[in-house]
Amino acid sequence: MALIDVVNLSKAFGPKVVLSNVNLQVQEGESLVVLGGSGTGKTVLLRNIMGLLTPDAGHVAIEGKIIAQLKREELFKVRQSIGMCFQMAALFDSMTVFENVAFGLRRHLEISEEEVRSRVDECLSMVGMKGTDKLKPAELSGGMKRRVGFARAIALKPKILLFDEPTTGLDPVMTDVIGRVILDLKHELGVTTITITHDLKSAFEIADRIALLFRGECIACEPPDAFKANPHPVIQQFLRGDADGPFLQDPPPPKRKSQEAHP
Amino acid sequence: MVLTFIDKTGASVLSALDTAGDFATLAGRTFVAIFKRPFDGKNLLNQFQAVGVHSLPVVILTSVAVSMVFAVQLAFGFRQFQAEGLAAQVEGLAIVRELGPVITGLMLSGRIGSAMAAELGTMQVTEQIDALECLATDPIHYLFVPRFLASIVVVPLLTVISIYVGFWGGYMILVGVEGQSAFVYSHEFYKLLAFRDLRIALYKALVFGMIIALVGCWKGYRTQGGAEGVGNAPTSSVVTSSLWILISDFFLTKLLLV
Ligand SMILES: Nc1ncnc2c1ncn2[C@@H]1O[C@H](COP(=O)(O)OP(=O)(O)O)[C@@H](O)[C@H]1O
Ligand SMILES: [Mg+2]
Repeated sequence: MALIDVVNLSKAFGPKVVLSNVNLQVQEGESLVVLGGSGTGKTVLLRNIMGLLTPDAGHVAIEGKIIAQLKREELFKVRQSIGMCFQMAALFDSMTVFENVAFGLRRHLEISEEEVRSRVDECLSMVGMKGTDKLKPAELSGGMKRRVGFARAIALKPKILLFDEPTTGLDPVMTDVIGRVILDLKHELGVTTITITHDLKSAFEIADRIALLFRGECIACEPPDAFKANPHPVIQQFLRGDADGPFLQDPPPPKRKSQEAHP
Repeated sequence: MVLTFIDKTGASVLSALDTAGDFATLAGRTFVAIFKRPFDGKNLLNQFQAVGVHSLPVVILTSVAVSMVFAVQLAFGFRQFQAEGLAAQVEGLAIVRELGPVITGLMLSGRIGSAMAAELGTMQVTEQIDALECLATDPIHYLFVPRFLASIVVVPLLTVISIYVGFWGGYMILVGVEGQSAFVYSHEFYKLLAFRDLRIALYKALVFGMIIALVGCWKGYRTQGGAEGVGNAPTSSVVTSSLWILISDFFLTKLLLV
């Protein structure tokens, strides 16, 4: 049985259909990378998995438990085994880095303050953020916030980690750093991960399988090599990063020859 | 023409019912969550600090101002009938029964209700409330309950302070300016009052405290639409809670006085 099972998931906001009939299975220990253009509903997919949104049709099951049908207490139990890393980190800005990472530990585990401290230090050093524990989120850069967000997500030793665009908006070097942190976490913790990203380089490093969301549907879900070789025009266009092709709904502005642009 | 009118009325009635239902649900969840574990003492203490201590100056200042101006008007009014002695009695009645609780309630809805709406609204649009959910923490329990508890304790306390300050505000005008006897003022101030009047004032303050915290938290929690939404949440919270403070004041007065 798959650890995460997304079955016929559909979600619309008013008349706007965001996801229609998405099917994804993620096995235990596997890492799935989800690619897709901006606004294709990748975040909506993760929010459905976390139970922050309720599907219009279909369901998400984690270890066989259907998320939308759980009582709140049961849902909270399931969520303790999932670490979610938000696109903009979503750190609690009234708390220090330490308090952010310690939040779940203090609320859900009956452990002493020393144990909390050592676990927080452990998590922070795993993401390369040791020694920042007294800072407030406002004093951190984008990449640092994301990594603190990772530390907060792994503090409770979850079985599943969800990353929502962990590298978007970062410089290429920091993108590589984040990619390595995710790979490290994957190998050290042996967790099951779903990563949403636009960064093809780290996608191919991280992924056991790659899925592509296109107009609310999942048009491919296969190992990296098969994905690269997939002849589907949308996939090939996405891999090339070309504006011309079936990917965009509205045709892109025509390409100018550089001589025409600068006569 | 008529149909669109009926349509529109129907739609707005439905949406008003929706809003009321949503508020009632969240209020109910707050009451239930009060008794849930874990109890977060530090968080509660922070709220007492934010809600209580920092509101003291504004409550004292407004109470002094209102009780003084009220005393000036009473002195002037009763002088028309050569009944200056009644001014202290009516001053006491008005301050304990109405001005103390209502002034405190209105000032605190501006001072703490709006702060709650702004804080929770910011947390909502920056996904911090979703992050709470993902860390298996009920936002109602973590955010609403401490604010609610702090508010229902602090508003009655500050009401007592406001009444006390109001006594001295009236004293300054009626004794200091109008030249009434200090002994007579202190005696007359309480003449029309019974102990139950103080109890009624505290009941009112308790209800106002509930309104302030629940409306503030609710408006913040339901914020959507980025910076504009965060900007609207406190305004709308102050307007809504002030309105409900005044409406509930009328009904509480009618109910509790008979
Ligand atoms: N709460 C919401 N209410 C209305 N529309 C939403 C909501 N959340 C997302 N959407 C819409 O769903 C679409 C997909 O959003 P999202 O999943 O955030 O995209 P992305 O793939 O870039 O993460 C967007 O067009 C957005 O407007
Ligand atoms: Mg997104």
